[in-house]
Amino acid sequence: MAGALASLKIVEIGELASAPYASKLMADMGAEVIKIERPGAGDRARTRGPFPGGAPHPDKSGLFLYLNANKLGVTLDIARPEGMELLERLVAQADVLIHNVWPPEMDRAGLSFERMSKINPRLVMTSITPFGLTGPKRNLRAEELTIWSAGGVCVLNGAGPEHPELPPLKTFGSQAGYQGGVHGAVATMGAVLAALRDGAGQQIDVSCQEAIASQLEMTFEYWPYMKMIATRLGKKPLQPVESMQCKDGGWIYLCCIEEHQWKAFVDLMGNPDWAGEEIFSDRLKRGDNWEALKIFLEEYVSRQTVLDLYKKAQARRIPFAPVSTMGDLLNSEHLKARGFFVEIAHPVAGACKFPGAPLKYSATPWELRTPAPTLGQHNQEIFGGRLGLSAARLDELKRTDVI
Amino acid sequence: MARPPLDGVRIADFTWVWAGPYCTLQLAHLGADVIRIETKTRPCVTRLLPPWPGGKPVGLNRSGYFNQYNQGKRSLTLNFKDPEAHEVARRLIAKSDVVVNNFAHGVMDRMGFGYEAVKKIRPDIIMVSLTGYGDTGPYRDYIAYGPAQVPLSGLSALTGYRGWPPMHAGFSYADPNAGVHGAFAILTALFYRAKTGEGQYIDMSQWECAMDLLAEGLLEYTMNGCEPERAGNEDPWMAPHGIYRCLDRPEPVMGVTVDQWIAIAIADDAEFARFAAAIGQPELASDARYATFAARKAHEEDLNGLISAWTAARRADDVARSLQQAGIAAAVVADSRYLSEEDEHINGRDYFVRREHPEVGTMQHCGIPWKMSRTATSVRAAAPGIGQHTDEVLSGLLGYSAADVSRLRAQGALE
Repeated sequence: MAGALASLKIVEIGELASAPYASKLMADMGAEVIKIERPGAGDRARTRGPFPGGAPHPDKSGLFLYLNANKLGVTLDIARPEGMELLERLVAQADVLIHNVWPPEMDRAGLSFERMSKINPRLVMTSITPFGLTGPKRNLRAEELTIWSAGGVCVLNGAGPEHPELPPLKTFGSQAGYQGGVHGAVATMGAVLAALRDGAGQQIDVSCQEAIASQLEMTFEYWPYMKMIATRLGKKPLQPVESMQCKDGGWIYLCCIEEHQWKAFVDLMGNPDWAGEEIFSDRLKRGDNWEALKIFLEEYVSRQTVLDLYKKAQARRIPFAPVSTMGDLLNSEHLKARGFFVEIAHPVAGACKFPGAPLKYSATPWELRTPAPTLGQHNQEIFGGRLGLSAARLDELKRTDVI
Repeated sequence: MARPPLDGVRIADFTWVWAGPYCTLQLAHLGADVIRIETKTRPCVTRLLPPWPGGKPVGLNRSGYFNQYNQGKRSLTLNFKDPEAHEVARRLIAKSDVVVNNFAHGVMDRMGFGYEAVKKIRPDIIMVSLTGYGDTGPYRDYIAYGPAQVPLSGLSALTGYRGWPPMHAGFSYADPNAGVHGAFAILTALFYRAKTGEGQYIDMSQWECAMDLLAEGLLEYTMNGCEPERAGNEDPWMAPHGIYRCLDRPEPVMGVTVDQWIAIAIADDAEFARFAAAIGQPELASDARYATFAARKAHEEDLNGLISAWTAARRADDVARSLQQAGIAAAVVADSRYLSEEDEHINGRDYFVRREHPEVGTMQHCGIPWKMSRTATSVRAAAPGIGQHTDEVLSGLLGYSAADVSRLRAQGALE
């Protein structure tokens, strides 16, 4: 069986997480992705690790290996005229060009939809950038931390009202990149369907800031609806929805949102006397009196082990969850039964194990076919084999750092 | 503009709360006819949650939470305790391309709308179930609530101040993340159906979708066998890299002083030299404690103190402007008011939408995070009132007569 996107051809010019994640999602569904990297250094993800033994190596970065499996890799400097010409020849054969080239660098290289659509009118060109292709912040410098902050998420996370001196807190990893990427993949697939219908491509301008602002739960609407600002310093209206430490050192997330969940938890705890106090009699009162409730709950939780309490709670339909460590995830009996983690051998990095299919299709499989490319691994195959460049020409392009 | 990409595609939307509605919101943005199947006997939780205009929870149509994530959809109310409500749903599925739900595993089967049953109604149907734990595996019947999915995913163990307990993400991140991945899944299945004529079933686990976002943490473990330490706002390859306090907002909001912060990330030595000059301390760039990345990382706490002392006396907007002029990645840590009124950029891009709603007026909502050049994509209407389109769907789409609709309503099937 082939993947759902087996007939789709994609060219990616991507760094770090956003555009690479968008095309990874499509590559895993069977699309062919040719990834273009800068000659010499390559994708910046190659420098960010994690690395085996903590030793940086461009072909051993965990982030790169994960985001770029199933892709073909070439090197090309699109800011050089010879590089742009080769990009145009690749785009002529593609359905989609997806990139996260910073807008000022797009301008310098002359990378534009106008130019690309002249080569291929059916092309869908998706630009995933921190702030989008228009507006006063188009050309601003941005990194993961500043984009996640500009999208409105950081302000929601942190130590709470007891510690106003501690800063808003970034969520781990490359979340702004992933969200720009997956929203970009949605828009791209929409445009691919429209291209199939109409025989014409188009430009898609994805703003990572807007992708983040689109998922602020109810917090954004507090301002237009009630002129209130939701921040990390607000008190939680209902409780318990908190992590607590168990006797085995692990943490469990207590979560009683519905009244019947609290009642089931009280029953699980053996109906202690304190639970009958008026000040704990509904979820809002438990929120108001959290400082008192917390002491009782900590005393109980500190005598439990994480897995035991999790399973006992779930058996009573209480939606507790462990605060999973990486080891918990890799060793989870549930995830093992679903075959979630996958492994593939990489010629330089060796065996790599990482997340597999987040989407399980009945007719078209998610597939891990090839490991991430080493820098320029497919230059010969793509530029020589597919575009028909001679060996002498390839040598020359390599000597002049075009590829 | 050409027709929207999903013009003519219909979604029978059995979702509720946040993950599922965020999935079908993407499809509505792309032009699909999304029909939410709701019931007044157990309204969507988000219809009951704040914020409400004036702070008062009156009725089911005034929640900013619901009204944000259901823009551009239609609402049909059915009470499945009445057998004829099932017949209405079957007729709707027969006229739909996609069935989506985010109930716990097994609920759709018990309602009589499992994949096998739905496929009999419409052989080329695409069906997606966005469950917490997936359809297989020993925990498939476990229940998942939005806030608990963040710690379950592993994100909490990785997020937090150095030396502090695990933290949350501050919102039920796994929900919209699962929703947008679900929308991607549906679009790829529509592509496959366009090529082959075949539908299919897609089993999605919200937990697994969230673990897709943890590669740096998971690979640290699979490569080196160790759990990454929580490191606040630090970055392993950039320093300084943090969020620093600025002057408070000049005016209190609801009687409370509101703090303001700036996020700053410095990628290399050249940037640090420009940064040092921009804050009026160019000598820092040649100071042995700060001249190289390794030195800055070793003295990061001192450096953060110096930076905080400089930012504390300034407005966040001014700091962002002066650092950006020096080519430094800096951004105001935006809160809802900042996004809503003060960020000229996002407002200038027509991102926010204000559609007329009969009960809340033209309230500001977040819109579509992408722009397409050829096909129209727009938020077509405000979120529906509960059951607002019941008559329209029954008589206009499903062929019920006015008399049938009245009879169904009288017997309670349309509650």
